[in-house]
Amino acid sequence: MHIDARTLDPGTLIEGDLCIIGAGAAGITIALEYVSSGKKVILLEGGGLNVEAQMQALYHGESLDRPYYPLRSATLHYFGGTTGHWSGYCSPFDPIDFEKRDWVPHSGWPITRKDLDPFYARANKILELGPYEYDAAYWEGLDPDVRRLPLDGKVFFPKMWQFSPPTRMGNVYRDAILKAPNVHLHTYAKVVEIVPNEGLTAIEGLRTKTIEGREHRVRAKQYVLACGSIHNARLLLASNSRATAGVGNAHDLVGRYFMEHFEIIGAQVAFEKAQPFKLYTIPSTGKARARAELALMGEAQRQNKILNGTASFRPGPITGKEQSRFASFSDDAEANVKQRQAMKNTPGAGPVPEHVIYQMFTRQEQAPNPESRIVLSDEKDEIGMPRANLRWKFTGLDKRSVRVFYELLGKELGRAGLGRVQLMEWLLDGDDDKWPNILSGGWHHMGTARMHDDPKQGVVDANCKVHGLANLHVAGASVYTTGGAVNPTLTLVALSLRLADHLKTKVLV
Amino acid sequence: MKRRTFIGIAAAGTAGMVLPATGGGSVPAAVLENPRLLQILRNKRTVREIGRRYRKIVPRENDAQALAQAILPDARGAGSASLPAAINAQIQRDFADGRTLTLDGWVLSVTEARQCALYSLLPA
Repeated sequence: MHIDARTLDPGTLIEGDLCIIGAGAAGITIALEYVSSGKKVILLEGGGLNVEAQMQALYHGESLDRPYYPLRSATLHYFGGTTGHWSGYCSPFDPIDFEKRDWVPHSGWPITRKDLDPFYARANKILELGPYEYDAAYWEGLDPDVRRLPLDGKVFFPKMWQFSPPTRMGNVYRDAILKAPNVHLHTYAKVVEIVPNEGLTAIEGLRTKTIEGREHRVRAKQYVLACGSIHNARLLLASNSRATAGVGNAHDLVGRYFMEHFEIIGAQVAFEKAQPFKLYTIPSTGKARARAELALMGEAQRQNKILNGTASFRPGPITGKEQSRFASFSDDAEANVKQRQAMKNTPGAGPVPEHVIYQMFTRQEQAPNPESRIVLSDEKDEIGMPRANLRWKFTGLDKRSVRVFYELLGKELGRAGLGRVQLMEWLLDGDDDKWPNILSGGWHHMGTARMHDDPKQGVVDANCKVHGLANLHVAGASVYTTGGAVNPTLTLVALSLRLADHLKTKVLV
Repeated sequence: MKRRTFIGIAAAGTAGMVLPATGGGSVPAAVLENPRLLQILRNKRTVREIGRRYRKIVPRENDAQALAQAILPDARGAGSASLPAAINAQIQRDFADGRTLTLDGWVLSVTEARQCALYSLLPA
């Protein structure tokens, strides 16, 4: 069922069993699990059914410390959320990503990779991926021409990605949500405050507002915050009429530990002769949309005390004309969505051209850093909410990890007699706090409401419940304790499925 | 950021030129001065630059005799015909055992860096 909040009388009280704030990948995933559940689900979306410049303008904010994508278009404010322009890259986190690593401060989730495996398999279907197979051996078994480079398997392994079509969740699941009698989607219902009770032990209700200023109230037994890492933090911090530091922020953790992925050309590889590359190119097998990137085994990360990272092969040498995407990504969200709607990840069966020189495109984990954070601006948006600004900050471990990755690759390619690696100059300048202007990110916003058993180290517990509050949970990548090396969408959908199951079986029974 | 170009080249020829070997005798210079790296990088200028940088950071090996002696002990006993294979095997052992260094961004075996250094002493 769909209700346009702009048509509701001011002061209307909207009630339900479960209220989901945000209808992006996480919110829609949870709502779908509740279709025909017998529970009344209120799904609140601040934008409309289609992307609009006026609604995107509410997302405007500044990156205060370094270049970043325009915040007004980096995430999308409409039904379907940022799946409206994502590229469909999917891969599960590695087991080491969940472990406490003594060389990575603030690492260690309260759950393991094994806890998520059943949900990853289900997430695969939601994102219209192939079989839940991420071991390269499976893909090599499908086609004799698909084989990995003969590198030492104790150091490097082929990390598999699959490619969603990409699933634009607002399109693919629109009918399922709108036709579900028990799921009430309210568009243009921007939540401007989460209101706790006076004892700050539970959420009493929500205040919502349309862009025209029409206010409504929402009351539910359980609430799930699913607005993405930046706007989850923004809303929690801005909800300060009773909890003066913000809801869920008793220990000053909300908004902190913002993480992205460093995406940057780090090196080039010269092979002595052309190698079979079908496993590492898109498409790989022709039977499905899958390909591998080179990744470091967990034990190699441990021995070298570096973060997780991968590298993909791009044909051709480094030209000196490489550029960051931060400046070239448009702040016009409507244009970006229109351009991306035409994109299709289609498997192909054509021959893979052979090259001997490749640029190496890095995808690197960011070390969790409490100083890297979302903060509230003094400026307010058109609805009257403080804007969110980004303070994106790094540690020396981030750059060192990229350098050591390529040094290890250089040694391994040399040992295997395959070729040589040349690190780019920016990795050799002796300053691990300095990054070049060709740095890009993945549009991957993680952390800001991180998961930890200890309320002094995390905002939510292992079940994504906000510490200290009986009925508020957080969904999406904002609960990530660490960011892994891979794109976050598959994991956030898996976590959302896990949260939905938990709510259905343990909380809202 | 320097533009890197890769162009096909012919192997340098040094027919007739010899270098002293350890334990007496001599070794055709072409064997020592044709680094396998030339086939991989496909760029004489890059290989020469690598060699120049090696000689700068290891000044005690800044001449042909010192370089040949540094390369050859590990290939001792190999005849001229098998020397290239012995040197290539030494290069791979260097990588396996961590005897590597980074020159001009290239992660290289010490042996091949020495070969580049010898190559850089040839007339351009």
